[in-house]
Amino acid sequence: MLVYGTVAIYYVMFVNILYFAIMGLSYRSIGTIAKRAKYSSYQTLSGSELVPSVSLLVPAYNEELTIIENVYCLMTLNYPTYEVIVINDGSSDDTLSVLIKEFKLEKMHNPEIRGTIETQNVRGIYHNPDYPHLFIIDKENGGKADSLNAGINFSHYPLISSIDADSLLEKDALIRMARMYMENPEETVAIGGDVRIANGCLIENGAVKRVSLPRKIWPMFQSIEYLKAFLGGRIGWSRMNGLIIVSGAFGLFRKDYVIAVGGYRGGYPGEDMNIIIKLHRYMLSHKIPYKVAFCPEAVCWTQAPDTYKIISNQRMRWGRGNLKNMIENRGMFLNPKYKIMGLITIPYNVLFETLNPYFRITGLLALAGYTLLDMTHWRILLTFMLLNFLSGYLLSVGAVILEEIAFRRYKKLSDLWKMLLFSALKFVGYHQLGVLWRVQGHIQYLRKNNSWGTMTRQSWKEESETASTA
Amino acid sequence: MFSHLFVAYVFIYVCLGLIGLGIMLLVQMKISHNREQQRREYYEQKHHDYFVYVQAHLGDDAELKLPPGKLKPLERSVIQDKFIEWIEQFKGDYRNRLIRLCREAGFVEADLKALGSFRYGRRLAAAYRLGGMRAEEAVPGLLKMLQKGKYNSISIIIARSIAKAANRPEDLLDMLRSLLSHGKPIHHLAADILLETKLDAGSILLKLLDDPDPGLVKVGLVAMWGQAVPEVMPVLGRLVGAKEKDVRAEAVKLYLSTNPALKDETIVQLMTDRDWEVRAEAAKALGQLHAAGSIPLLVKALQDASWKVRHNSAESLAALGEAGFEALCQAAVTGTGIQREAALHRIGLVMEAEQKHGAIEQMVAYNKKRLIHDRYFGVKQPVKRVTGVAAVGGDYTA
Repeated sequence: MLVYGTVAIYYVMFVNILYFAIMGLSYRSIGTIAKRAKYSSYQTLSGSELVPSVSLLVPAYNEELTIIENVYCLMTLNYPTYEVIVINDGSSDDTLSVLIKEFKLEKMHNPEIRGTIETQNVRGIYHNPDYPHLFIIDKENGGKADSLNAGINFSHYPLISSIDADSLLEKDALIRMARMYMENPEETVAIGGDVRIANGCLIENGAVKRVSLPRKIWPMFQSIEYLKAFLGGRIGWSRMNGLIIVSGAFGLFRKDYVIAVGGYRGGYPGEDMNIIIKLHRYMLSHKIPYKVAFCPEAVCWTQAPDTYKIISNQRMRWGRGNLKNMIENRGMFLNPKYKIMGLITIPYNVLFETLNPYFRITGLLALAGYTLLDMTHWRILLTFMLLNFLSGYLLSVGAVILEEIAFRRYKKLSDLWKMLLFSALKFVGYHQLGVLWRVQGHIQYLRKNNSWGTMTRQSWKEESETASTA
Repeated sequence: MFSHLFVAYVFIYVCLGLIGLGIMLLVQMKISHNREQQRREYYEQKHHDYFVYVQAHLGDDAELKLPPGKLKPLERSVIQDKFIEWIEQFKGDYRNRLIRLCREAGFVEADLKALGSFRYGRRLAAAYRLGGMRAEEAVPGLLKMLQKGKYNSISIIIARSIAKAANRPEDLLDMLRSLLSHGKPIHHLAADILLETKLDAGSILLKLLDDPDPGLVKVGLVAMWGQAVPEVMPVLGRLVGAKEKDVRAEAVKLYLSTNPALKDETIVQLMTDRDWEVRAEAAKALGQLHAAGSIPLLVKALQDASWKVRHNSAESLAALGEAGFEALCQAAVTGTGIQREAALHRIGLVMEAEQKHGAIEQMVAYNKKRLIHDRYFGVKQPVKRVTGVAAVGGDYTA
């Protein structure tokens, strides 16, 4: 029991040293990121014919409350040539009818669908020549991946960007990504954007007008979590070309390569991680030089779940998706053919993400049992808990420093204190729930329970009214 | 166990120490950033009248006055940033006067000095501002900075500054050579940077198109999009036969976009080119040139492996009057697979679009097409196209 507990202590230390190493890489990149964010010129680029055209794909399932605001937001980006394709994935609410009504859309009689990726039946494509760059695909329900595939089949441009219907892009977000793509167009196959929590922000006309931290505790915890994952983790992973995920909320892809790997994998959550793993596999198998990049200055604001039920469903889904992806790609584990992915990213993910809850729970139980047998050893249990807390807290502090160096979105000193406080509070309950949800997700996977769970949206207007009265 | 615990204690103390340091650093950074922001806002307010004065007198002949009083470094920075913002917005005399004002205020001199600083951050900030102030004397230093550094996002910032500041075409060519020397196909970005120049675009494009380096030629070709430069047409004609696939494709696109008169053998040559981009551009141009003699070639191109070539061929056939439309209908009825698919799609679009026209001539044209359509597909029978997801094969390059 004691031996296992000791192993668990070393495991926690080792995992955290690895996290620090990844964060160290983020620190190495942050200077360049801050400089390019400050000095890059987008004035000429956002009006230039030389910028590649992009198809924005927006899968929508029961999004009647937010979809209109989101489409308006997407139609007013600072970007020269792009189209917005909303894919109504057989919504049971009025998503399609509110879109048809708002944009006076008509069903196209002879739409041209060029792609051949299999999807659920497309019932129709809607368009209004007054909005020449807006298309709505109405299809039978098949999930997010299926919707993205339907969007790819219909899209007209060489780059595609997946955007969640509950997210708002900053006006320069797409052009910032395009700049990064243009700096290395041959090798860049995918670019991820930075996802931030919009709860608490003041939103007007489809744009975030005033940035504030969320007032509710669930979104606040997620805000810290996202900051840590995106700034502390993904910048570092992308530096060594080992990024395993580009968030489904906002990413840019080369369409030819997405089609070459067969499009998005349907039928299971975690399609955003799956497509990136498939791209890595494809490029490495064909020995094509490539890069999966991360562009933290391209920001997408998303509505975070604000109730226990919704967040637990989301996290179980993520846990299920992660496990499925790791099992599906077990052939890459420690396989030198897949370079960084095979030797570092996948093993790291299996040992320190997928199996992490088990090591931590069993380690804690072993030490707790040992302490119960002999209460004089309470120090060991306390040490284990302190290790977990302090190393995790240090990572959060590190991520907030990265934010302060390069972006400074949250201006007030009180915001800083709030972030530091919630970074600590995260370890009292929320962190443990995260472990539990992941295990529950794994159980769902083993029971072949593949339901999406509850997901309700709040109108941006309501969100904004709450923010303005605060 | 003691030794294991000791390791854990060390880890804990290190974490505690780093957390303490991190929080102190964060607070210090936040306070200093906020203070700087407040002071910036204060200085903007303080110099509001001066900014109004400068804007109001930009068109006057008299020399503009320098900012009043002894300025603190941050105050200077606020004023300089405002001038640079205006330089980007204005052109001609207004811009020149602002540039002169920057010189007289000593901003250029100070940044030239900063360009030699030991700190990279300072050098880069100076490089950015010197480009903004169009300071041509900074170009040699900027070029050195660009050539010394490895290729990354920062190189693009420096290259833009060179493009803005350079007074000699040779400096622009050196900048482009340096950018392209890393072997990345960044011709579109390089062309965008090049177009920041204040020099005459025509002569620079001519130099680029005549350069032995295919990379520079491609930048020239890409930069020519949307630019009317008649003097480069002969060079363009020569590049249509270039060996490099990319150069040829870009040259053909540009050449055909000027609606040139094409010989029959040139049309055949272009429509059978091994590069799909060339074939697609040729197919597109044939409709615009009203080259009715090329209908058989376009019908054949409806079977091309590239979707873009098929799409453009069908579009051009539809643009070639009744003869072209009839050929399209024939291909839809007698053809199979992708050829039939491309033809049917275009016929559907034509019938749909023409139905909406109100003018008499358009009604006549529509009725003629309707008659041809009905001859092939029967009266009142709508054009049926296989819709669904598994539609057509081919490439997905666009």
